[in-house]
Amino acid sequence: MSIKREKEEYLEKLWGMKEDNTDDLNTLSSEMNHADHDRIMHELEMDNLIQINDAKVSLTDSGEDRARKIIRAHRLAEKLIFDALGGNYEAGACEFEHMVNSEMVDSICILLGHPRECPHGRPIPQGECCKRALKTAECAVIPLCEMMPQQSSRVAYINGQSNQARLNKIGTLQIRPGAMIKLEQKTPSFVIQCEGADIALDEKVAADIFVWKECTRNRRACFQEDIAAQEGICKQRSGFGFMKRWRGGKLPN
Amino acid sequence: MATQKQRLKIGIVGLPNSGKTQLFNNLTGTYNVVANAILTTISHKKTTCEINNYLCEITDTPGIHELQSQTFEEASTRDYIFGDKPDVLIVCMDSNRLKQSLNLTLDLLELGIPIIIALNAIDETCRRGILLDTRKLLHFLRVPVIECIALSGQGMTELKEAIFQVKGIKWEFKYGSVIENGIDQIVQKLPPGMPNQRKIAGLLLLNDPYIIDFIKTFENITDENILEIQTCVNQTRKEFQGNIARMVNTRRSQWVDDIANEVILQQKITPHVFEKTFARLCRRPSTGIPILLFIIYLVYLGVVNCANVIAEWMDTTLWLPVQNLINTWVPAGFFNDFLIGDYGILSLGLANAFITVLPILSVFFLIYNTLEDIGYIPNLCVLTRRFFEKLGLSGESVMPLVLGFGCKTMATLTTKSLQSKRERYIAIYLIAFAIPCAAQMGLNISILGRMGLQAFLIAFSVLIVVEIIAGLILNFVLPFEEKGEFIQELPPIRFPTMKAVLVKTWYRMIWFLEEAVPVFIYAALALFILDKTGILMASKIFLSPIIQGWLGLPLEMVDALILCMARHEAAAGLIIKLISEGLLNFTQCIVAVVITTMFVPCFANIMAMIRELGTFRAIVMTVIINASSFVIAGCLNWALIYFYLGT
Repeated sequence: MSIKREKEEYLEKLWGMKEDNTDDLNTLSSEMNHADHDRIMHELEMDNLIQINDAKVSLTDSGEDRARKIIRAHRLAEKLIFDALGGNYEAGACEFEHMVNSEMVDSICILLGHPRECPHGRPIPQGECCKRALKTAECAVIPLCEMMPQQSSRVAYINGQSNQARLNKIGTLQIRPGAMIKLEQKTPSFVIQCEGADIALDEKVAADIFVWKECTRNRRACFQEDIAAQEGICKQRSGFGFMKRWRGGKLPN
Repeated sequence: MATQKQRLKIGIVGLPNSGKTQLFNNLTGTYNVVANAILTTISHKKTTCEINNYLCEITDTPGIHELQSQTFEEASTRDYIFGDKPDVLIVCMDSNRLKQSLNLTLDLLELGIPIIIALNAIDETCRRGILLDTRKLLHFLRVPVIECIALSGQGMTELKEAIFQVKGIKWEFKYGSVIENGIDQIVQKLPPGMPNQRKIAGLLLLNDPYIIDFIKTFENITDENILEIQTCVNQTRKEFQGNIARMVNTRRSQWVDDIANEVILQQKITPHVFEKTFARLCRRPSTGIPILLFIIYLVYLGVVNCANVIAEWMDTTLWLPVQNLINTWVPAGFFNDFLIGDYGILSLGLANAFITVLPILSVFFLIYNTLEDIGYIPNLCVLTRRFFEKLGLSGESVMPLVLGFGCKTMATLTTKSLQSKRERYIAIYLIAFAIPCAAQMGLNISILGRMGLQAFLIAFSVLIVVEIIAGLILNFVLPFEEKGEFIQELPPIRFPTMKAVLVKTWYRMIWFLEEAVPVFIYAALALFILDKTGILMASKIFLSPIIQGWLGLPLEMVDALILCMARHEAAAGLIIKLISEGLLNFTQCIVAVVITTMFVPCFANIMAMIRELGTFRAIVMTVIINASSFVIAGCLNWALIYFYLGT
């Protein structure tokens, strides 16, 4: 029987231990509590994925590479399940990580707009796509600060899970995944409307709130760059008297 | 007739700016300041009154969002609910913010205290095209839901009746097996007599920063117990393996959403609300700054053209006859001086308060209260945030500073909610330094208005520049700290009702008279004694190099500075008198206003500073402020002389 899966679980655990700054062999064996512990450890060492010194265990360079991929898949999956579906992310993600290839992981990452943290607040290792910082059209979420004024959209997720105080504050104002918000203005401070209340934010907070792109109702297409192309579609005109006519008519080049 | 039954303890809780104090005023028949702004109430107010023949003790609390607290005020409200054990809680729900209110209500329902929901401001919700199905809300929550409009007092009779019919319902909201297990275990570790154990256990799990302090206040609790509780909490957190707060919040918001979806009936088309448009215009820099300047100009016009005229009229018609009368009755001499001399208790005390200061303040407060009820002032923080950021203040502290233009003492007290010590220090300093409070502002405008718009512009630009430089210096000197973030709920713009504004102005006047008149009289008496014993003259001669030489002011300004220590308004009255006697010219007038604005913050403000910073630091700060006010005013004097007289 292949123990590939168990090995991957071990690598994942070791990555987590590294994040928690522990490298104790006993902690690993007691927390994994697996019947085949010795065999798995042996195979991992044979594959040159881990190295054991006395009671310490650590990932080798190649082991770290493998673990990063697994962790990335796992946390992105959590993110996807939690944000998009709101389900039990832990169970689903555990299965998920063993099945997907890196292309698929990358496309999920792009879809979610290269999130930096999983729902637990742990960092998601960056992939190639994040490093190239692809902002392709497929990106399904955008940060609040990239929305246009007067647009409204649904919140996808909020970065910065480790800052619990801020998260609570935002949460009590009902800014949370699934809530509809409307961006009132961007300068000098961001003002959004959420559940009947007006809330002012600074850029730092606005950059951490992500909204679903397809939900954004574009009510001010007139002001976008492709203004000429949308001229015909634009229904809502703003401005008084002659300004209105001017927008409705032909635009000066 | 009040029955001899035990008095009923009623607490009013709700979101910030949801109208709790208005409800409190309606129920008790007293008056406390109500404003369309957050942080209006910053401490508990307790009043005993009679409702439907029962003796009730009603408590008004600062606004909270949920029982889990982030700031000191929120924690104090929670400590009231946990510690004082009110018999009935009136939840003041802002119907515009139903979801937020429901979140809080859920928290309170878990406590098992009888709850009445007062659904406030339903008229506004209707205008926004949203209808709330109150019967469905009643059906879901199983507690009385009373629709009301607190501002006009509608729904109060129903509310009063409901208080005596309400029964407690215990809600158990489940959060899943791991968390429930953890809560059960923590509850066992808590001391047996403690109320609301389940809720406290929940708050411990959510890592509330203030709940441990609350537990420590209980008797028979040892450090060991606390350690035990802590380990139990950590154990549960480890077992859960996830973010408990997020899990709990998700469950709760699910509940809130389910109810809100059923209760809220929304029209497809949202009607255009003028208030919204106005709010937008106020916050946008391109329109907001002109609006701000226009409002300042309006205030200036109002005070100069209206208040000054009234004050003069009152002086000639009311005060002069009295003065003449006393002059005929009491021959010139000691008693004449005592009554209506330069430092007479009637002239410098009563007439100063009633004839000179009161008309100016009442006109100014009328305008200021209107702005307050519109909700304009808190919305300013959107416009001014970047400006304050340059002074090393993050978004959090913008609100206290903006509130400083209302009352410095209250603004100083609100700095308690700031996380960063450094920002608190800067904010308290800047509030105490060159920000004029509402009363000072009104009187300053009145003084400077006599010299023309130019004087007003010069004096206030100097104050702004001073504030900026002070901020920059503090920002540079104090060690760097991580900046707090700016997340600020803004009150909606509302049309003020004439009645509310008038009532508020009336009470502010009454409070001013109650507080200030004795101080005015004592200060006049003190000056009179100093004058008669010759100490005043001696000190004037002693101070003349500073006053005349450095500041270029007449020696009579020493009196004003002494009065300033007692109360700023008294000094303003004296300055107005000096102007009418022709003792102050254009430049002197500006210097006088600048120095009195910066000189010694009022007594209440110093007390607030001591409370926030400790005695030593507060006194050091006061000394620094006074010293710098002399230096700055002197520099200003020489600069003005150079520009106006030198050329």
